[in-house]
Amino acid sequence: MNITTEMASRSLNHVGEILCGDRVQFVHRKDSDILVLADGMGSGVRANMLSTLTSQIFGKMLLEGAALEECVETVVDTLPADPRTGASYSTFTVLQIFHDGRGILFEYENPGCIFIRDGELVHIPRNEQIISGKAINTFRFQAKVGDTFLIMSDGTIHAGLGSLMSFGWPWEEIAAFALRGHVPGQSPLREAVRICDTCNELYGGKPGDDTTVACVHVTNRKQLHLMTGPALDPADDVRMVRAFMSGDRTVRRVVSGGTSASIVSRVLNRPMTVSMDYNDSDLPPEGYIEGIDLVTEGVLTLARVIQILKEYAEPERIGEQFFKKLDEANPASRLARMIIEDCTEIRLYVGTAVNAAYQNPDLPLELGLRKNVTNQLSEALEAIGKKVEREYY
Amino acid sequence: MLNVSICVGSACHMKGSKEVIAKLKELINAHGLQGRVLLNGSFCTGNCEYAVCVVIDDTVFSVRPETTEEFFNNEILPRVS
Repeated sequence: MNITTEMASRSLNHVGEILCGDRVQFVHRKDSDILVLADGMGSGVRANMLSTLTSQIFGKMLLEGAALEECVETVVDTLPADPRTGASYSTFTVLQIFHDGRGILFEYENPGCIFIRDGELVHIPRNEQIISGKAINTFRFQAKVGDTFLIMSDGTIHAGLGSLMSFGWPWEEIAAFALRGHVPGQSPLREAVRICDTCNELYGGKPGDDTTVACVHVTNRKQLHLMTGPALDPADDVRMVRAFMSGDRTVRRVVSGGTSASIVSRVLNRPMTVSMDYNDSDLPPEGYIEGIDLVTEGVLTLARVIQILKEYAEPERIGEQFFKKLDEANPASRLARMIIEDCTEIRLYVGTAVNAAYQNPDLPLELGLRKNVTNQLSEALEAIGKKVEREYY
Repeated sequence: MLNVSICVGSACHMKGSKEVIAKLKELINAHGLQGRVLLNGSFCTGNCEYAVCVVIDDTVFSVRPETTEEFFNNEILPRVS
């Protein structure tokens, strides 16, 4: 098994609140991907603090390599409780999917996770484990490519309470609605948004509770290797290109940068040709090297890619216009399309040599700031839920 | 056939590769040299300070859009006539 996940979430704030009391955290580890949804009691700043505390403890501990069971214990022990009712100040759901296929779900007082497999709902049995006096529902399973998990805060089942729906939106109906809208291959964001927006309608546009829907898709790993910039020490060229070429045939490979492309061509001993077709007058044309999926110029192209990814990171603001741009033939759109639609994780091979000629004041752009560009690129990639690893040479 | 490579890398692009290519194509056509001069693109030759870099037989020339015609007259024409 060699699986991974794609995750996305959408939240609605309690009407009149600037901060959301629900908090979603995605954690990408070498062995697994984890989603945490915490719902702080009440709304506004206080709820936000409580859910942030909860999700951050999970996030930090998990990243340090702690087992999920340990984290659950720590969180349950740490969470302050209401002195009158004994109820914890934050509820949570945590889903961990290992790359080898093992899955674990811990649920504490949130609505049950909706699990869709092969076009059907899968019942998650009640199996309560008492951890530090709290009943945590635990579900262990073997994940499969195509599995979909929808994790929600209770704002969903309360949607419309007392107005449109006298008892809110029942879990069973949400699950049936989710199943009807589930189309294999669509993005997890679309699935989360569909449910969340329906909640908003049921609330008449004035949510009476913070409402969050997170969606996790189990997919095959799709890796992309991106090499940019020449190594600081030319003696490292071969090592860098070998690392860049590592992995099997399913790995997509992109070189961004004229000098880098020349190095790849030389080390692999495969000739490079460069197009003179300007399909976008602001961007240099692309090159071709056998066995490399895309060869582009460096900083200008990457700056444009970053711009496209940043737009994509704000899904509520993009429309058809955006996808038209994404479908353009220029090298930046092609790279952005590969990243957005056909890859789950990216490894950046960054050369740190500085091109002395770029310090020339005649050049109007901050061409020399490759590190700046790769940092921005990493941030933009992480913001849209891609896993990023960087190697410097 | 005379091979002329024009760099379209970052620095050269900023300094007008596109215009240089367009002008060279125009001049080649005007002189009816399509069968004798082959233009191709290239990425960085490591001479970014001389952008736009144009290479003929391993010699690097620095060309700007406004010096393209002069470059064509001095370096390309004598090599093919």
